[in-house]
Amino acid sequence: MSAPAPLLRLANVTKRYPGAADGDLPVLRGLSLEVARGETVAIVGPSGCGKSTLLNLIGTLDLPDSGELILDGQRLDTHDELALAATRNRQIGFIFQSHHLLPQCTVLENVLVPTLASGDTASRAQAMDRAKQLLTRVGLAERMNYRPGQLSGGERQRCAVVRALINQPKLLLADEPTGALDRATADSLAALLLDLNREQGTALIVVTHAPELAKRMGRVLELRDGQLVAAHGN
Amino acid sequence: MTLWTLALRSLRFHARAHLGVLLGATVGAAVLIGALLVGDSVRGSLRDMALARLGKVEAAMATGDRLFRTELATNLNAAPVLALPGTVNSADSSRRANRVHVLGVDESFWKLATKAPPFATVPPDSVVLNQALADQLAAKPGDEVLLRVSKVSALSQDVALTTRDGQSVAVRLRVYAVVGKEQLGRFSLQANQIAPFNAFVPLGLLQAKADAVGKANLSATLNTLLFPSREVDISFSAEWATENFMAIADAGLRHSWQLADAQLELRPLTNSAALELRTDRIFLDPPAVRAALAVDTNAQPILTYLATLLRAGTNATAYPMVTAAGAPLVPADLRDDEVVINQWLADQLQLKPGGELEMSYFLPDSGAALTEATNRFRVHSIVPMQMPWADRTLMPDFPGIAKAERIGDWDAGFPMKHSKLVDDPYWKQWRGTPKAFVSLSAGRKMWGNRFGDTTAIRFPMPQSEIGNRKSEIEKALLTALKPTDFGLVFQPVREQALKASREGQDFGGLFIGFSFFLIIAACVLVSLLFQFGIEQRATEVGTLLALGFTPKQVRRLFLLEGAGLSLLGSLLGAAGGVWYARAMLHALSTVWRDAVGTSDLNFHAEPATLAGGIVGSVLVAVFTLWLALRKQARRPARELLAGGGEEVISNQCSVISVQSAKGSGGGVMAVLPHPGPLPLGEGMATGTLGEPNGSGSDPALAKVLPLPAGEGRGEGEKPRGRQGQRNTMAWTGVGCLLAALALIGWAWAKNDSAAAGIFFGAGALLLGAAMAFTSAFLSKLERSEAAANLTLTSLGIRNATRRRRRSLATVAMLACGSFLIVSIGAFRLDEHADATKRASGTGGFALLGESTLPVVQDLNSPAGREFFNLDAKAMTNVSVVPFRVRDGDDASCLNLNRAQKPRLLGVQWRPMDQRTAFRFAGVWKPLKNNSGDWMLLSLSDVGDGFLQTMQEAGLRRASGGSEIFESGPSSKSFGPPPGTAVVIPGVADEASILWALGKKLGDTVDFTDERGKPFKVRLVAALAGSVLQGNLIIAEDEFTARYPGEAGYRFFLVDAPPERAAEVSATLTKALRDFGLELTPTTRRLAQFNAVQNTYLGTFQVLGGLGLLLGSAGLGVVVLRNVLERRGELALLLAVGFRAKALRWLVLSEHAGLLLLGLGAGVVAAAVAVLPALRSGGDALPLASLGLTLAGVLVSGLVFTLLATTWSLRGKLLDALRSQ
Repeated sequence: MSAPAPLLRLANVTKRYPGAADGDLPVLRGLSLEVARGETVAIVGPSGCGKSTLLNLIGTLDLPDSGELILDGQRLDTHDELALAATRNRQIGFIFQSHHLLPQCTVLENVLVPTLASGDTASRAQAMDRAKQLLTRVGLAERMNYRPGQLSGGERQRCAVVRALINQPKLLLADEPTGALDRATADSLAALLLDLNREQGTALIVVTHAPELAKRMGRVLELRDGQLVAAHGN
Repeated sequence: MTLWTLALRSLRFHARAHLGVLLGATVGAAVLIGALLVGDSVRGSLRDMALARLGKVEAAMATGDRLFRTELATNLNAAPVLALPGTVNSADSSRRANRVHVLGVDESFWKLATKAPPFATVPPDSVVLNQALADQLAAKPGDEVLLRVSKVSALSQDVALTTRDGQSVAVRLRVYAVVGKEQLGRFSLQANQIAPFNAFVPLGLLQAKADAVGKANLSATLNTLLFPSREVDISFSAEWATENFMAIADAGLRHSWQLADAQLELRPLTNSAALELRTDRIFLDPPAVRAALAVDTNAQPILTYLATLLRAGTNATAYPMVTAAGAPLVPADLRDDEVVINQWLADQLQLKPGGELEMSYFLPDSGAALTEATNRFRVHSIVPMQMPWADRTLMPDFPGIAKAERIGDWDAGFPMKHSKLVDDPYWKQWRGTPKAFVSLSAGRKMWGNRFGDTTAIRFPMPQSEIGNRKSEIEKALLTALKPTDFGLVFQPVREQALKASREGQDFGGLFIGFSFFLIIAACVLVSLLFQFGIEQRATEVGTLLALGFTPKQVRRLFLLEGAGLSLLGSLLGAAGGVWYARAMLHALSTVWRDAVGTSDLNFHAEPATLAGGIVGSVLVAVFTLWLALRKQARRPARELLAGGGEEVISNQCSVISVQSAKGSGGGVMAVLPHPGPLPLGEGMATGTLGEPNGSGSDPALAKVLPLPAGEGRGEGEKPRGRQGQRNTMAWTGVGCLLAALALIGWAWAKNDSAAAGIFFGAGALLLGAAMAFTSAFLSKLERSEAAANLTLTSLGIRNATRRRRRSLATVAMLACGSFLIVSIGAFRLDEHADATKRASGTGGFALLGESTLPVVQDLNSPAGREFFNLDAKAMTNVSVVPFRVRDGDDASCLNLNRAQKPRLLGVQWRPMDQRTAFRFAGVWKPLKNNSGDWMLLSLSDVGDGFLQTMQEAGLRRASGGSEIFESGPSSKSFGPPPGTAVVIPGVADEASILWALGKKLGDTVDFTDERGKPFKVRLVAALAGSVLQGNLIIAEDEFTARYPGEAGYRFFLVDAPPERAAEVSATLTKALRDFGLELTPTTRRLAQFNAVQNTYLGTFQVLGGLGLLLGSAGLGVVVLRNVLERRGELALLLAVGFRAKALRWLVLSEHAGLLLLGLGAGVVAAAVAVLPALRSGGDALPLASLGLTLAGVLVSGLVFTLLATTWSLRGKLLDALRSQ
């Protein structure tokens, strides 16, 4: 019996940035990664090692110079912009260090924003129920009609988490999700992410500097010299 | 949650940030909607004026010098009016009004007023004035005025035999009332916004004074025309009647008219058994002759005329009548060179059959010139003094002759130079009995004229049948004739008036044109501000992209937001537009009144216009935003999420964003250790940044300030791409420049400088070229690395490349504004330029005159001057070119209505050609020739087949195809005789053709001649900016053939030595005072016309200036945004030792550079664009005023920049560094 196909597979991915005086600067050098469905992975490493670049590639916000990027059996590195946008919208959820909520919208509306991109009006009606359900789940039932400016940092981040989950993505990407939070709030958010991972069956990749958060993930990988290696202690 | 909701949420949340965009959209919409409302208002005001001048009048019949019975009008339920030209003096003669419409009216006329006046009718010996005339005379009810009115002459003043004295009659009347426009005070059939002078007098009084008892020449009616005849049984619905009003009117006329309405009389002869058809106009109209001969084939045409002298050898007799007729008056075989004389003459001149008789006579058409001709005849036979020859009824009732007791008492229009040869005994015994008889054809050759060639038609019949046959023939004649043959036709004057107002000058379009740059400036401002707003929301864009929105969706979302702003701005703009329109109308009624000639403009707003304006404004704003959004959301989400809102981070020097500094580690921080504050103060503009340490460029500083090429540039942006873009822009500039030069060259070669399209096309291309070059220049500057020679000023200028599009938009705004001001200023017209030259707008004439009553005397001849007692000395070196006038709509730019039937002038082309008077702006292509364009009027036919006809006539066309005459036609040597061609040539001022008529060269204008026959005038040549604007000029012979009733001349161009023009004017005015002659210096008339264009230009300049002001404000906004975005880096510079003054200079030099670049580009583009206009006679550039205007713009721009710089650098700048 063969092993189930991974949700995400990166094979020999390279990425360089132009502009260095002595040529392009390599960031990822033939990096490979497989993430199973529902798995949780933390990626750690020093500043400037390319963690965010890797996360952007996985999230289709950027494309590799070479190598393969396969999500749920589909090669993404060959997709055009429209298809990538659709993938981001349907299959991937983003959580940023800075929550990036739209200040003009309420909590509920912020959560629903991703549903507007699809143009699928039928799913929008269901999305409303799901949004309310998720917001209740993360403890924001009383804050649905608040604006981001009226929320605490943790609440904003929880709202961002719900927004990331609204379209039931298969993969959740979090870039320093606790970076701007105090310790207690960060712990709480980490717990929430893992709970939701279990409940929703969504794979979770977290880029973080926080060892506490990384330790709570199923697997911790370190990005070193453009390659992923198992982190010490794992 | 929908995209709409999201857009609305954004709109509300970013309301403060959107305020500028909203303001810009509001200004743009206000200007656009306001311009359209100006159009509505002018159109509405013209409509009001049209309705005011007509009251309830639906249709009118104006017959000029032809009179019909008042009963004809009253029977049709129409008001009879006798309308005559006149002059009015105040009682003490201190004030005078010429060209007054004297209207004899009865009570039925006042019923046509929208609001009935407080009197039923004008009391006897009273006059009612309209407001304009009362104002002119400073008259009020109770005052006395002296009214002089032209009498109605049965025989045209142009006929040699007509009486010349007593053409007008004066009557002293008391002003009974002054009527306003609602009481038909502005009654007129001509479409013009300028109120006429109207004097209303009792109909009976005017009829009596003008020798027109029981007659009228104008009939005005409601749309309830009655059929007077009970026998006519036409039943129709009211609706049908309204729709078919004109047909009903025509049918009504046909049923109601009588021969008397055509000034015809069918009378039994008392001395023979016959009926005779004659007219008090002496000469029967050709249609009447044709009808009479058709009714009875035995009818006998007769033409009786006065001979001045009959001579046989040494014997002669003066002033006998001679009849031309057929048998039985003359033998059927009488040849054209034979004459039958009566016994009296035979005895008097000792003549026998076979003898020779010389017959002298005035050419009938020669008018006051009294040109005499002589023919020789052989006496065929002598007839006894008995019937049918001894018939005194053969003589028509020549006015001043028929009723005189003796020849010496004749009041005829000629001097009795043969008084010794008059035959009073014969007159006493036989009166006007002809002494000689010639064949009808001989008579017609001698005396046939434009009025006719028959004085009577006789229907011989047994005496017993006369009673019965009279009504039978009368009925047959009325059936055979048409009322239109005699000008009896109702015109739908209300419909025509409304059409004239509807199709009048489109002020909406005009003001959109005037406001164009203002709208553009508003759009650019909107675009700039909206872009700023979006750039501030870069992370929002990044978030949306990361969440799966496509760039297109993001742009659409922002566009939705922008559309909401546009809608709001347009709605606010609609309110602003009302203000704008009111302000423009106020200006048009006051400071710009020269352009419209009236202060009677009221605000009108059509809902459809408002709605259309709002929709249009929204579309314009949305389009502007779409343009601004096109390149948004194209940057990667990761960049946007990282806070990279900047358009391009280039490699230019020094002012590195703090964000970049953060990212690049020690780059900027390396500057900080620089020793001590940099003493950049007084010599800041020229000192290099490296100078402070006294060793020239500081290598350390220079190393830090200029980034290596490519560093800090947006990722993925390729240097080659930027290079390619620069090349593209440079080549675009070259292309635009070449195209503009080609256009100007073409205009130069074609001498087609007047075409506005060429001017704007070339100007726009040059502007485009300037912008493209500017773009390329900024791009090049951006790439330059001349750090070693870096100064604070050059640093500031190079900062302009950081936001290249923003800088370009600023430059474009300023360039457009300065282009507008310079180019428009150059097109102002100066009436004094070349005023004495023939090839100018004055035609070289010193004076232009218009008289109320026609002048038939030749003002160039000694006899004519003697008639008016003109001082010979004062008239030395003075000559006059007279024009015949058929009144019509003023087709000049002074009339805002669309001229439906322009005023026709008839002129002899030779005097104009000999003078080479006026400059021709263009000639209809098939007729282009080099030998004088006035000659074109001599063509007798310019119908579609005329070229072929001319070629068949043997006239050579030069190989180039541009020469149609070999040496020019000396006369109408070929083609149809005057009055017969369907299409005749006409000349008009190009402004009249283009604007007042809405035509172009080669087009035709429809007319109907005096006898109801339609004809067309083809516009074969256009005069450039002339005093003849407003008229359509045709050849005099065509004019007289088509309007024989229009006697004499009423329009004059006077050649006089410039230094004596005032003296000549006074002399002529005094001598022709009773004719209401009004002389104006041609320069003044030209100034009136020029004032329209100059006022429009002024309007354009004012609104362009506002656009430039908006542009200056835009520059201020740009400064604010630039500085606010760079507060961090400016704070950094402050931290490393720059003084605040130096920072101000840094900012100021950048934006002053943009200001100068914009102004320079606009001025250069305009200077090149106006070259062809200058070459073709445009007046010299008003350099002083232009210089002042541009200096004003420069100063205002600098002030805005300075204010914005000071404001944005206020407060603790270093705090900005800490907050980073």
